Amino acid sequence: MTLLDISELTLDLPNGKRLLDGISLTVAEGETVGLVGESGSGKSLTARSVLGLLPSRATMGGSVQLLDQSVLDASRSELLALRRTRASMIFQDPRAGINPMRTVGDHLTETMRLCEGRSAADAKAVAISLMEAVRLPRPEEHMNQYPHELSGGMLQRVMIAGALTSSPRLLICDEPTTALDVTTQAEIIGVLAEQRASRGMGMLFITHDLNLAASICDRVYVMSAGRVEEQGDARQVFSNPQAAYTKRLVAATPTIVVARDSAATADQGADASATTSDAVPSTADAAASASASATPAPVEAMLSASGISKTYVRRGKEPVRAVIDASIEIPRGGALGVVGESGSGKSTFARMIVGLEQADTGDIRIAGRERTSVPSSRVERLEHARSVQMVFQDPYLSLDPRITAGKAIEDAMRLHRNLSTTDARARVIELLEQVGLGDVHAQARPRTLSGGQRQRVAIARALAIEPDVLVMDEATSALDVSVQAQVLSLVEEIRRERGLTVLFISHDLAVVRRLCDETVVMKTGEIVERGRTIELLGNPQHPYTRLLIDSVPRPEWNLEAVAAEASELEDPVAQN
Amino acid sequence: MTTFRRVAGKLGALLLTLFLASLLVFFSRFLVPGDPVSFLLRGRKPSPEAVAQVTAQYGLDLPPWQQYLNWLTGVLQGDFGRSLQYRQDVSEVIGDRLPVTLMLVVMAGTMIAVVGLTAGIVASLNRGKVLDRAVLIGLTVLGAIPSFVGSIVLIAVFAVQLGWFPSFGSGEGFLDMAYHLVLPSIALAIVFVVLVGKVTRSSMVEQLGREHVEVATSRGLKRGTVIRRHVFRNSIGPILTVSGVLVAGLLVASSIVEAAFGLAGIGTLLVQSVDRLDFPVVQAIVLLIVTAFVVVNAIIDVLEPWIDPRAAAGAGAR
Repeated sequence: MTLLDISELTLDLPNGKRLLDGISLTVAEGETVGLVGESGSGKSLTARSVLGLLPSRATMGGSVQLLDQSVLDASRSELLALRRTRASMIFQDPRAGINPMRTVGDHLTETMRLCEGRSAADAKAVAISLMEAVRLPRPEEHMNQYPHELSGGMLQRVMIAGALTSSPRLLICDEPTTALDVTTQAEIIGVLAEQRASRGMGMLFITHDLNLAASICDRVYVMSAGRVEEQGDARQVFSNPQAAYTKRLVAATPTIVVARDSAATADQGADASATTSDAVPSTADAAASASASATPAPVEAMLSASGISKTYVRRGKEPVRAVIDASIEIPRGGALGVVGESGSGKSTFARMIVGLEQADTGDIRIAGRERTSVPSSRVERLEHARSVQMVFQDPYLSLDPRITAGKAIEDAMRLHRNLSTTDARARVIELLEQVGLGDVHAQARPRTLSGGQRQRVAIARALAIEPDVLVMDEATSALDVSVQAQVLSLVEEIRRERGLTVLFISHDLAVVRRLCDETVVMKTGEIVERGRTIELLGNPQHPYTRLLIDSVPRPEWNLEAVAAEASELEDPVAQN
Repeated sequence: MTTFRRVAGKLGALLLTLFLASLLVFFSRFLVPGDPVSFLLRGRKPSPEAVAQVTAQYGLDLPPWQQYLNWLTGVLQGDFGRSLQYRQDVSEVIGDRLPVTLMLVVMAGTMIAVVGLTAGIVASLNRGKVLDRAVLIGLTVLGAIPSFVGSIVLIAVFAVQLGWFPSFGSGEGFLDMAYHLVLPSIALAIVFVVLVGKVTRSSMVEQLGREHVEVATSRGLKRGTVIRRHVFRNSIGPILTVSGVLVAGLLVASSIVEAAFGLAGIGTLLVQSVDRLDFPVVQAIVLLIVTAFVVVNAIIDVLEPWIDPRAAAGAGAR
């Protein structure tokens, strides 16, 4: 039977902007339906419309039927009843979604006590049994704990348990695992699938992650700019996309799947770096094979860090060993990926290399120069900055909102070199063009630029100084997949053209795979495995690396073939 | 255990603050021009013997630190010395005036809480609408009125024109005093209502945009319940912090209002005593105000983990 039937749903803002443009979708009992799209596609808004959670001054059109009850025409009390009995929603970030000032027990029992009028003891019993159902380790203890005392994964379980208190027929999940680590994501997906099956609920699953959607959904709807671009059987849609947008999305999605003939892929990868980086072809290859066999590189390394450790001493608490005896080496023109989950110490490691943090022990050298200590004087800071530049995760935060893109780049440049205004301007335009922007963007403030454009500006700013090494700390994590693909292509291109040395920090194996010749895997401060990226993905040695790889959602069929075909259709760098 | 240690730590800090304040309060008199002895002997032709006698009688011949120790010992026993102008114990002089000021502050405080919170909450729940704008404009206009002007307007309208309230004096007995203090406490409250109202509004608006509020709504809780349990509850922190800082301002501003309404309270006494170089009284009142301020803020600090459980976890909390 059909639980949810949305037809021709439109949503207009008072300023005339149409956010949803004729959305039609259905969810049947026991079915998992995916709603896939990038930011601004309207997928979250569509999901919220099911529970009547809409912007207050929006004009709605079309219909939303939840168990044959119209949501858009529902009175206030009907809407409450609907939310209390028919559908529940799980939100993206459990840390933001659960009131930090109330206990976990209060969150779980709140609706039972206040809406259903159950006794406190009764509600508590239900809450505890639900916590057991979602596999929280110590339900009794969690009742009196506050959200900040639990990890993100545990909190998301609390959120799920909270959504299940009303025994909903339809469970709406809005990016429920986006804020979580990949291993935690796998666990949460497991819990969701189990609950959906045992309760026979319908599930509307919103995600930007094609692989995730493909691996858990029966049917999917692909949304873009407020419209459904394509719909159908999940396998059908992703293995044989019809709409141009879906094809582009599939092409842009990085994957960790290593083709059967992994040797061929490896060769191809090596070819790419060898043939195109004319300046340093032999170095990259020699060093890559050298460090793969863990012998000292014959050529001088551009970046070498050895025996780096960092411990944070906290008053009244156990000290945290953020980084333990980590060593890496990147040859000139090489790209090294550092992969790890939150708390693995990868960002601390990056910050020490950039000189934002002082290593307790160890030695960092960039282009042969000592760069271990945090620069203290202005001269030292400038010197250090010329060695290494960093691109941060969130371009919305790393660019000053009041400074235009051109000025931001110019300022960085002038800090290091005396340039006449005209020379500086010319160089700014040159840099902007190099990152696929133009002189029109020089005058733009960050507010008027898209996320991808901002990150390009951040990269241009980092390159303005012509550093020896570029450190990218989760530099594409905040971006949509298609934008991420553009930024990654850009970095690849710059590496080819300028022989730039890159240290790429990421939680995402697929992204690292795309960009880096070599990869190290970090876990709780230690490097547990290192090697050529393709070999590491194809034949992981350490159990943690295997766990990481296994946790990445993956449909049974191979996306690789489709991706290769589709990427020919589209040069992601060309479009903005 | 940790709670105990935290409270003990706060208490230590509190005592240290009070000690430093007492030093400042006592020794500031040596920086002020004017000699208490000449005030005591005013109207008489001071013979050197008389000066020496008075000086010795009030202990003014001792070295400053000795005078401080004497004073502090007395203060710790509730003896603030003798007022120079009233020739009475300072504690008696203050004791006579304290009820009026306390009542004034309590009444004004209640008004600030009720009106300020209501205005802030109403504005935040109607954010961007006409009511919100009206409240904001109203608050801004009120905030621009100095309290002595407010006092005069209130007297002119409600005491003189309408005759609803007395314009002068503090009345006899509890109820009469409360009646007499209605206009003064309104005059005192106005500026603080504006501050509390604005802080409440911005704190509520910030919480209203939080995702956990949407989650609560999505679970079918009534709007009132969501506002009470998730929005207002989470907004209390900043409101309390600001209120704590306001306490000192409230005590100081009361002197202006007391003067405007001819009330014999602590505020007028302070102004008068400064005027007449009545150091013991000035010192006692200033110490009282400092103590009130420090104690109120210490209480708010101690309450903080209860208001925001993340604070209990210390700086390490995310």
